[in-house]
Amino acid sequence: MKRLLIPIFSLVTLVGYGQNPAPAKPQDHVIALMGGTAHLGNGQVIQNAIVLFDKGVITNVVDGTLVKLNLANGTEVIDVSGKHIYPGLISPASTVGLEEIEAVRSTVDKQEVGVLNPNVRALIAYNTDSEIIPTIRNNGVLLTQAMPQGGAISGSSSVMMTDGWNWEDAVLKKDDGLWLNWPGYYASDFDLENFTRVVKKNDKRDEAISALRATFGDAKAYAAVANPSPMNLRLESMKGLFTGAQNLYVRADYAKDIVEAVQWAKAMSVAKVVIVGGEESHRVASFLKENNVPVILGALHRLPNREDEAVDLPYRLPGILQKAGVLVGLSYADEWWRTRNLAFQAGTAAGFGITDREEALKMITANNAKIMGIDGMVGTLEKGKHATLFVSAGDALDMKTNVVEHVFIQGRKVNLDDRHKRLYRMYKEKFTK
Amino acid sequence: MRKHVLSGLFAIAFASGAFAQTTFPQNGVHDQRMGLYAFTNATIVVDPKTTLQNATLLVRDGRIEAIGSDVKLPTGVVATDLKGKRIYPALVELDSDYGMPEVKRQPGGGRGNPQLESNKKGAYYWNQAVQPENDASLLFTASSTKADELRKLGYGAALTHPHDGIIRGTGTLVTLADDRENMVVLKPNATMHYSFNRGTSNQTYPNSMMGAVALIRQALYDADWYKRGGSNQQENLSLAALNRNQNLPVIFDVTDKLGVLRADKIGDEFSKQYIIRSGGDDYQRIDEIKATGATLIVPVNFPQPYDVEDPWDADNVSVAELKHWEMAPMNAGKLAAANIPFAITTAGLRNKTEFWANLRKAIENGLTEEQALAALTTVPARLINAGDLVGTLKKGSLANFIITSGNLFSPDNVIYENWIRGKQYIVGQQVVQDPRGVWNLTVGSQPPMKLTINGKSAEKPEFQLMADTTKLSPKVAVNGDFVTIQVQMDKKKPGTTRLTGYRTGNTIKGDGETPDGKTVSWTATRTGDAPDTPASTTGTSGTATAGMSGTTARGQLATTLPASATAVVYPFVGMGNAKKPQAETMLIRNATVWTNEKDGILQNADVLVTNGKIAQVGKGLTAPAGARIIDGTGKHLTNGIIDEHSHIALLSVNEGSQSSTAEVRMADVVNSEDVNIYRQLAGGVTTSQLLHGSANAIGGQSAIVKLKWGEAPDAMLIKGADGFIKFALGENVKQSNWGDAARVRFPQTRMGVEQVYMDHFMRAKEYAKGWDTYNKLSAKDKAKATAPRRDIELDALAEILAKKRFITCHSYVQSEINMLMKVADSLGFKVNTFTHILEGYKLADKMAKHGAGGSSFADWWAYKMEVHDAIPYNAALMKSQGVTVSINSDDAEMARRLNQEAAKAVEYGGVNEEDAWKMVTLNPAKLLHLDSHMGSVKVGKDADLVVWNANPLSIYARPDYTIIDGAVYFSLKDEDARREAMQAERARLIQKNLAAKASGAPTVRPTFRRTRMWHCEDIEGVMAEGEEK
Repeated sequence: MKRLLIPIFSLVTLVGYGQNPAPAKPQDHVIALMGGTAHLGNGQVIQNAIVLFDKGVITNVVDGTLVKLNLANGTEVIDVSGKHIYPGLISPASTVGLEEIEAVRSTVDKQEVGVLNPNVRALIAYNTDSEIIPTIRNNGVLLTQAMPQGGAISGSSSVMMTDGWNWEDAVLKKDDGLWLNWPGYYASDFDLENFTRVVKKNDKRDEAISALRATFGDAKAYAAVANPSPMNLRLESMKGLFTGAQNLYVRADYAKDIVEAVQWAKAMSVAKVVIVGGEESHRVASFLKENNVPVILGALHRLPNREDEAVDLPYRLPGILQKAGVLVGLSYADEWWRTRNLAFQAGTAAGFGITDREEALKMITANNAKIMGIDGMVGTLEKGKHATLFVSAGDALDMKTNVVEHVFIQGRKVNLDDRHKRLYRMYKEKFTK
Repeated sequence: MRKHVLSGLFAIAFASGAFAQTTFPQNGVHDQRMGLYAFTNATIVVDPKTTLQNATLLVRDGRIEAIGSDVKLPTGVVATDLKGKRIYPALVELDSDYGMPEVKRQPGGGRGNPQLESNKKGAYYWNQAVQPENDASLLFTASSTKADELRKLGYGAALTHPHDGIIRGTGTLVTLADDRENMVVLKPNATMHYSFNRGTSNQTYPNSMMGAVALIRQALYDADWYKRGGSNQQENLSLAALNRNQNLPVIFDVTDKLGVLRADKIGDEFSKQYIIRSGGDDYQRIDEIKATGATLIVPVNFPQPYDVEDPWDADNVSVAELKHWEMAPMNAGKLAAANIPFAITTAGLRNKTEFWANLRKAIENGLTEEQALAALTTVPARLINAGDLVGTLKKGSLANFIITSGNLFSPDNVIYENWIRGKQYIVGQQVVQDPRGVWNLTVGSQPPMKLTINGKSAEKPEFQLMADTTKLSPKVAVNGDFVTIQVQMDKKKPGTTRLTGYRTGNTIKGDGETPDGKTVSWTATRTGDAPDTPASTTGTSGTATAGMSGTTARGQLATTLPASATAVVYPFVGMGNAKKPQAETMLIRNATVWTNEKDGILQNADVLVTNGKIAQVGKGLTAPAGARIIDGTGKHLTNGIIDEHSHIALLSVNEGSQSSTAEVRMADVVNSEDVNIYRQLAGGVTTSQLLHGSANAIGGQSAIVKLKWGEAPDAMLIKGADGFIKFALGENVKQSNWGDAARVRFPQTRMGVEQVYMDHFMRAKEYAKGWDTYNKLSAKDKAKATAPRRDIELDALAEILAKKRFITCHSYVQSEINMLMKVADSLGFKVNTFTHILEGYKLADKMAKHGAGGSSFADWWAYKMEVHDAIPYNAALMKSQGVTVSINSDDAEMARRLNQEAAKAVEYGGVNEEDAWKMVTLNPAKLLHLDSHMGSVKVGKDADLVVWNANPLSIYARPDYTIIDGAVYFSLKDEDARREAMQAERARLIQKNLAAKASGAPTVRPTFRRTRMWHCEDIEGVMAEGEEK
């Protein structure tokens, strides 16, 4: 009886300050953003831009000083002069929507039990009512890749919009890829004697790799059969890996792991491999370039891995890879609730080694779109792409000036309220009495 | 079986001399002997400074009766001619567990099943890790096999104690003879032993280093109280033992150089100079260690080279590890050069047989033989007040000595015999006759062959056999007069001929068997010396006459090494400083200066720094002669960032074992060698409050440090800073997220937390009153009264009540924040700072009224239930109500971007830039009561400055210079040079490791060790297995 009461109380607290704003209504009239600085996401900038969109799709992006557009009747003109227009930021490799409060187990749905779960699908657990979602959206993160964790094969991810009534509404690309935790060359051990983490050679690695080899081999064979019987859900879910319909996202950080994972995936006939994490990817940059393997980097706001590493190596990593010609995306790999800081990862990359800020911006827009195979729809401010974009009062990559004033997702005008703003208002009112 | 019986027969000992085992009955016929031995014609090393030539040593009844060149031999003496051989005093070991029961950890304890009380039943101390009543002499049992291990190395006596616990009990000096314990124990209560390691105790307290320090201190204060009258109130066998043994030398077992400093400080508090068993890295902080005045006991367990053949794997080894590999053998030499007294121990060796090789390595690396001998004999004997018994060869001392083939320290030396209390142990084979030379070998009717026996010493001969011009490969063994040879006589015909024979003078005769089973006879005749046989067979002639010095050049190896190989960096980390930074006179010109004063932000201004202080702020300042000029054009100059809540540079964070651990001090566990100090300098941080964690309602006392990279812990502490203490509220304190098993410790609810505070403060109040009453007594009355028991936990709490110590309280939810303010109000003090304070915005008005500051995260939330209402507008809202707000890190990584975290107050809530900047500089200075000399760019204040390449609140900003007290601790310009120097040093060391491997040295695989990054919720020993916050 006592047990039952507890969750009820928790629920009461959760809803105590009202709900998230309702999802936005579909765009029913033409909108023109006038006079802002448009950062296209492909490296280009247009000052005094006009961004025009209708029915959720960008219909034109032009330089207002060069081109005069005749706006159709009923066009909503929003003056954004002095402000900055960006394509919606894309947050890959994220558990936003899959977990709410870290310490409350019942709110965590990111990791299934078992080792081989290719058939597990993250989008199913994507909670469009999460109170985290509005907070990240309000800093410009408009797309997130819901990603499963755990095991060796964690399951499949989907690209989600940060607005929608339910996961079916919110999904942009279903099951875009499978997630593999590469058995590391090193395994980490915690030494209770002196409270240090010791990284040692992983003895169980060969065994783990053979098990993966068997599974991928079986999946490849299975994929060649027209109507397999009996049907195997696991192998069924892996078919897309061999046709290129799905990415294989491989989590690997050490240089040796990266090289080995890529070689292995090629040998297993996997069409598209993406390295995720990649903390040591700078050492194998030319290998990645030669093999045309993109990298989604983990947290840049982390400490160097080793005592003797340059203090700013994590900050400089994107620049090093970019110069080597590797396709780089940035993710927000610290806690999911901090994802609103994604833009500042790019800002850091720009402060440390990438001289052109637009190049850093690409790493959270166009590059991520390209890696996830959604670049036909999103990632840049270009004609024909979704009107998934936002307006910030200043440079969105800098926290000092990232103040988001308008958000559109597929042209839908998103309400910018969130839990934090509600509480802020509530107490501001209390204190103004 | 038979073998055992046989050896048993030999092992039955006779009793020599008068020290017969008179109190024991004897089975069989008594076998009491004279025990009178003389050793003549020997070179006798009496002590490290005195060597006698052609001298005689006379032993009677296990003691030295006479020594010198004119000793008359009494009748009935067993005399041995030791011409060409040497006698040394037997060595003395100070760190041994010889004869002690095996130390076994009992299952139990841990997170699920906390053991709050001692499992040792009886009238003992409350804590199981404090067992001063353990008496090694009561636990000791002699063991021949273990003693033999040390005897073979030349040891004659060892100080042994149980290696378990924090106060471990007394040590006992024993000989290494395999006699009855009655004959072996020399000094039952020789020493007292302490450590920082709680050992097998599963009691929850202490589970941190600072807890171990506090426990020792409290136990010593308790012993004092017990002596002064506490014993009238209770019987406590542990405290009685502490008092009984208070005058014994204390040996403190530590693991590293910082441990040496830490242990010595405890000794200072109790006016006792400890002897410290160090970890062997003392050379890394030699000045501070010298200043302790302690005598050390140092190990010679040097690291093995690393297997660095794979360059990627090799990166797992740090420069510091590589350097320590190279420098560990220099430790003893550097201590000696610094005149720090020390003894040497075999403890810690992977295998005791490595001892002599490692000791010689130390000698090759700067230690002289005389110093080495002293460290093995006279120093250890003196340390335990046993100089009259062991350590030197003088009349009246025990007959503990060794007989060697030559110089004890030379690689080809052989220890023949080890005499312990007049009893002989043969430990090395003594060759009756030197086999070396050229021998004509004739086997049966074969043509004669030439057998050449050479090699460095008679004990380690090498053999070559030539049959005409064919080189054969014989296996030869010489055992006394017997010689056996196995050889394949014909290279083309497989099969071994086996020969055995005996030597008489220059002839060896015998027979043997050919491969086909036929018996053959053989002879060998010595025809002359082997070509490269050294003239002397024992290596003793004409060497040391005065003292020990001279045979091995001191620092010989060092001269062939580059300067970097013998140079220590401060701290001992790859990015350490070759020289500790010094305060400079400097002028920063033409910068945008964020003053944090009413002048606001000055454009194109200059700042002059002299003597570590800000000397002038203005325009067009003139640089004094020799000043460093920094061009600030386009740059921003600010104060250094002050992190109000940090856990870097600490060896442990939480003493989470009890609801209150007010007695623990983070100053005891400051880790000056943490690379995060340097990383934070690179992010513009100059000062950090190193806080205890948040595992309990009343945590420990903070350490406020300046990030002076290179200085030792004490030099980092800000002198004269007010004392602070960490409190904590909420889920950590009530163990909400520790799993279902952690439901034992009080409190488990917020209701209980209030009562913990009230209870402790009530006790502290009464405690303070008790002392007050006592202190007011007249001298006469004081003499009659018993002073109250000093309680270091209540001391800290009483300081809070007296407004001499200030609270920084980890807090999230408004209800409990309100509670603590009410508790404080009711007792008449203020809560200085609420840290985290994520719901501070809900009662900012109450905080302002109470006078509490708020030190918050910029935008953290959602990691647990109690932060569900956290909002990034918190800082702005608290500020709006007049609360002094700072933004802190609680995170080693975020601390290096605190400028960006401050900028979030601009993003969320529109705080103006100047005020946002104060949240990481002036405001934390205020909260730490340091604003009188820190926190703004004002004449007279500390020159803790940062020159930024851009507006410091911008994400694109990074420090060009970070300056503390006028000394440059980080310079972006010099960063490349620093890295290049480090890489060059690394490359040199890698090559040396490769060479070591190639020459056959066993190597260790590189593993990579990273000190844990602490957050305030990390509970050492409890939550340490996870990396979660």
